[in-house]
Amino acid sequence: MSKHISSLAPSVVVDTAAARVAVSQMIGRISLRARGDLAAVGQAIGVELPTQIGARAKADGIEVACLGPDEWTVLVSLGQIEKVEDALAALYPSLPHSMTEVTGREVTFTIEGPQAVELLSIGAPRDLSTIKVGQARRMFFDGATVVLWRDAETSFRMDVWNSFASFLATTLETGAKELAAELA
Amino acid sequence: MSTYRVRGKGRVDASKPIVFTFDGKPYTGLKGDTVASALLSHGVHLMGRSFKYHRPRGAIAAGSEEPNALIGTRRSAGRFEPNTRATVQEIWEGLETNSQNKFPSLKWDVGAVNDAAYMMFSAGFYYKTFMWPRSFWDKVYEPFIRAAAGLGVSPTEHDPDTYASRNLYCDLLIVGAGPAGIAAAREAAGKGLSVVLVDENAEMGGSILSEPQAKIEGKTSWDWLSDELADLKAAGVKLMTRTTAIGYYHENLIALVEKLTDHLPTLPADTPRERMWRVRAKQVVLAQGALEKPLVFHGNDRPGVMLAGSAQTYLHRYGVKVGNSPVVVTSHDSAWYAAFDLQDAGAYVQAIVDTRAQVRQDLQAEARSRGIPVKLSHTVTATGGRLRVNNVRVNPLSGTNVGAGQWIKCDALLMSGGWTPSLHLFSHTKGSLAWDDDLTTFLPKDTPEDCVITGASRGLWGTEAALRDGATRVGEALAKLGVEATATEYTVADDRTGSGVMMRELPTDRSPGKAKAFVDYQNDVTAKDLRLAVREGMRSIEHVKRYTTNGMATDQGKMSNINGLNIAADALGKKQPQVGLTTFRPPYTPTTFGAFAGYHRGEHFEVVRKTQIDAWAETQGAVFEPVGQWRRARYFPKAGETMDQAVTRECAATRASVGIFDASTLGKIEVVGPDAAEFVNRMYTNPFLKLAPGKCRYGLLLGDDGFIRDDGVIARVDENRFHVTTTTGGAARVLNMMEDYLQTEWPDLNVWLTSTTEQWSTVALNGPNAAKLLAPFVEGIELTEEAFPHMSCVNCTVAGYPARLWRVSFTGEVGFEINVAAPYGRDLWEKLWEAGQQYDITPYGTETMHVLRAEKGYIIVGQDTDGTVTPADAGMDWAVGKKKDDFVGMRGLKRPDLVAENRKQLVGLLTEDNSWLEEGAQIVFDPKQPVPMTMRGHVTSSYNQGTTGRPIALAVIEGGHSKMGETVYIPMPDRTIAAKITGTVFYDPENSRLKI
Amino acid sequence: MIQIHCPYCGETLPELEFAYAGEAHIDRPESPSAQTDEEWAEFLFMRQNVKGPHFERWRHLHGCGRFFNAVRNTITDRFYITYKAGEPRPDLATLLEEDNK
Repeated sequence: MSKHISSLAPSVVVDTAAARVAVSQMIGRISLRARGDLAAVGQAIGVELPTQIGARAKADGIEVACLGPDEWTVLVSLGQIEKVEDALAALYPSLPHSMTEVTGREVTFTIEGPQAVELLSIGAPRDLSTIKVGQARRMFFDGATVVLWRDAETSFRMDVWNSFASFLATTLETGAKELAAELA
Repeated sequence: MSTYRVRGKGRVDASKPIVFTFDGKPYTGLKGDTVASALLSHGVHLMGRSFKYHRPRGAIAAGSEEPNALIGTRRSAGRFEPNTRATVQEIWEGLETNSQNKFPSLKWDVGAVNDAAYMMFSAGFYYKTFMWPRSFWDKVYEPFIRAAAGLGVSPTEHDPDTYASRNLYCDLLIVGAGPAGIAAAREAAGKGLSVVLVDENAEMGGSILSEPQAKIEGKTSWDWLSDELADLKAAGVKLMTRTTAIGYYHENLIALVEKLTDHLPTLPADTPRERMWRVRAKQVVLAQGALEKPLVFHGNDRPGVMLAGSAQTYLHRYGVKVGNSPVVVTSHDSAWYAAFDLQDAGAYVQAIVDTRAQVRQDLQAEARSRGIPVKLSHTVTATGGRLRVNNVRVNPLSGTNVGAGQWIKCDALLMSGGWTPSLHLFSHTKGSLAWDDDLTTFLPKDTPEDCVITGASRGLWGTEAALRDGATRVGEALAKLGVEATATEYTVADDRTGSGVMMRELPTDRSPGKAKAFVDYQNDVTAKDLRLAVREGMRSIEHVKRYTTNGMATDQGKMSNINGLNIAADALGKKQPQVGLTTFRPPYTPTTFGAFAGYHRGEHFEVVRKTQIDAWAETQGAVFEPVGQWRRARYFPKAGETMDQAVTRECAATRASVGIFDASTLGKIEVVGPDAAEFVNRMYTNPFLKLAPGKCRYGLLLGDDGFIRDDGVIARVDENRFHVTTTTGGAARVLNMMEDYLQTEWPDLNVWLTSTTEQWSTVALNGPNAAKLLAPFVEGIELTEEAFPHMSCVNCTVAGYPARLWRVSFTGEVGFEINVAAPYGRDLWEKLWEAGQQYDITPYGTETMHVLRAEKGYIIVGQDTDGTVTPADAGMDWAVGKKKDDFVGMRGLKRPDLVAENRKQLVGLLTEDNSWLEEGAQIVFDPKQPVPMTMRGHVTSSYNQGTTGRPIALAVIEGGHSKMGETVYIPMPDRTIAAKITGTVFYDPENSRLKI
Repeated sequence: MIQIHCPYCGETLPELEFAYAGEAHIDRPESPSAQTDEEWAEFLFMRQNVKGPHFERWRHLHGCGRFFNAVRNTITDRFYITYKAGEPRPDLATLLEEDNK
């Protein structure tokens, strides 16, 4: 049977001395696109929008990452998402923008452990050291586009579109075991 | 202890004997041995047969440059590798090895008749011999060549090993851990840089491993080496052994292949056999040393004829004498040391034959003191012995005259024609080379990469020179990294340096035309072949190379390039730099497909995308097919059903009651902003400005050339928001195209695009009972013809989940597409499945979907269109807005060729005898015309599992729309099928079944 | 594998994150319907196919998603510059001069 990965069923993909990979619980997500008076947008959602691609901000449990010159991902608890969407809808007439809920679109893997960076290096062609703690990037990983959040030196979150999750989980599982065998 | 093993010599572990087999016979070697060194310790020189002439061959080298000693290595089922170099493969308990290219046995090989027919097989042999008759190529020549020539046999079993890959960024990568590489690493270590030092061998040290006599900084060279490596490790330098830099690519990207398990008796868990490292280094130091050149003379390939430097490596690194009574033939000082070391290890060197008249006095004195006969101004003209050299013919030289020959008995012949810097990786950088007249070789000059080259790679001989050069040259790289370098000045005692002269073929008193003097051992190319190539008109070295195949074997010309160049230049009457060198290309050494594939093999070969409902289909025994990157359920067979039976059943059930289909893979794009309608209107042929919120419309997407690119249903969710769908395979392409127009042509439009393909699970219900089944789950809308007509959309709740519900149909039946947040798709599906049992609900796959849509004449972009089909060709002019100012493709549609008469047009086909047509089959108007017939079109879709009671087909045919009712012909291999041209709608042309 | 500087992200990243998008500075005519067949064919099909410095487009497909322009030498694969879409075409002679320094 092939792997079935869903944000409705958090689970541990692999746990070795090198790294632990787990599927996170579903969280509210909004893809936000806007130009112009970004301060007003920030006010609406309650977090000032970072403007440097890769930068993040967080306030009141709402987390934002800038992924493009006019693009942000907003993470918010499922309970709060309606409030944020309403606030953005109220802003629309004065500042047209694009708010698209993508809560169901992706799965988040948490990747942590002493060899987390090495594990990511099996599928990521880019230099991971240039993603600093507290930043995020959209990037390429083993054939898929993912968003990588670096929360600590060896602690990451990786957002992956649902359909890629089982393939990438296999990659991560193979890698975590391989790295653990190297440590042994 | 075997006869040729020297006690107290070598780095092998005498306390750890290891038994392996060669051609079924067990041999005992020591831990640290290669297959070659272990066999040589038993006096076994014969290790293989050559490629073309099947001549007996032994190892001529001791490292990865080995052209001859290619063996098959086997661990267990599937774990077999052909063409492994015996000089590199480490032995382990139980290793099975075999010689290659022989029948019935290595010692007695019938293929060796090729050798007797030597004159026939000269340069250009294939081109000349197998030209005609042409019909002989498949049946006679090719099978003969394949059977007669060749290296090892490809494995046929599945390879159970795993392979890996990793990306690595570092400040400094040093390739080659000989004296120059280690000295470079020493300068860089401990300065806060990430430094990687790699070496292809099992042990680091390079030439130091073969020169234990040297004293570096007052220590023995081996003590210095182990201290130095320990220090580098402690300083954080990443040391990688058994790791070959196979290629140097743009911007300091170097591919390394690390061999992890081929030397281990048992395979550790979770460990790949090989790992490809893609290293991006800010600076690179190339310290790959030099390769010894063979001398070119008649019989220089007999087992036991070997490079002198390699003999030293066998002695010092492995404690193996390659012979008890060797002769040394050389044109370079370095081989003299091989003679001395072997004599000191207990061998009786029969003679040192040097082509030069003048040789250093100290070397001559050393030879005299050991009682070794010295023959200056002498040449070698022949060797004897069937499976191993047993004598050598030596002649005096006087000017250009070759005197009478004298045979000297021997059991090994050690040769040296000097040294060639290893410039392979440097050449990969597109680095330029400069000819050096003194060294008669090419040396590295400039490179566009951030790379320095050091040590013997740039023609410096001796350990001290290499150490000092490594320490100095790395300074350039360190300076660019912002680190100050010190350039340690090393002092080495008992260092061995030397010089020599360049020789082409050794002078001979015999007819050069009959000499079997090999230049490329692996491809069996002789000096005579090279001269013949020039005589027959080859002028460029590139032509000489291809005509003779010199340097084209798996060793990449490591042994043969410079000798080949020298001989070709002489034959052309030019200087070497005017002739030039052929190009070195990656990989440096043969590399397994596994290493290139890495993790991507078997089920992990490429990305496989799965929907949230995929796992349900799997439990139902669905048969899957790949569609783009997705795997989709193709059909759901019941026990014993064929595909045809299953699809026929699924089609009938859907039309009779209700079918359920996973449409989640359809591409989805959310278009949001004040200019959303304007943008969609500009992209698609159909008018969208006035589409009311809550309504759907079919959309046809063209390229600006006017041809159909994609299609899909587009819903206006509200004033400023569209939900666009694309084909499954077109999703990424369409979004890219839209972003292109939006970002670069219409940046003034206030609208944004977001991919929502994966936000939604899309469940399609089709059939007369679809509304009845769905209605109880829906809150917020009545599923009646009046409240929710065909081509409507609404945001509502389905089975408790927020949903975008669409009334659309791709089957011709009443249809709904229910979009819910992807993770809930499975639950929604199962609820509908359960409730649908009362209606005999049937899950159907892509095959049934194809049949049902074809019955309605709905096209599939990419199947019924091929990138040259316009809306008019497809009979879809109705989808093109006539009053629009512009849309992508509008101007293109007016191009002269697109409005020409007689374009291929999409029509239906019904065969006269009710037989099924093959998709792709060509169509002719006159079946009696002579071959080749004029083809007028082809079948694009064809099905016989549908509900109309007969097979149907769609086809594109020249002028098809004006040929309704006419008969066309489809010639097949066994018969010609006649078919009548019809419209494309085969089922319910009045669309009466779309009504609830 | 080359590395490409994304002018939006300000980072130099592996080619795998990018997609090539053809020759740069070819504008879709304002009113296509007013174009002659020859003009439209020129816009659709005719390209420079340069051997040497080439003005071309790339998209940071697996990153910020932006299309941008670049000048790349098609012989050496060397990038002289990358710049945002809509920015003026840089002077080639100046670029090559700066690169020689």
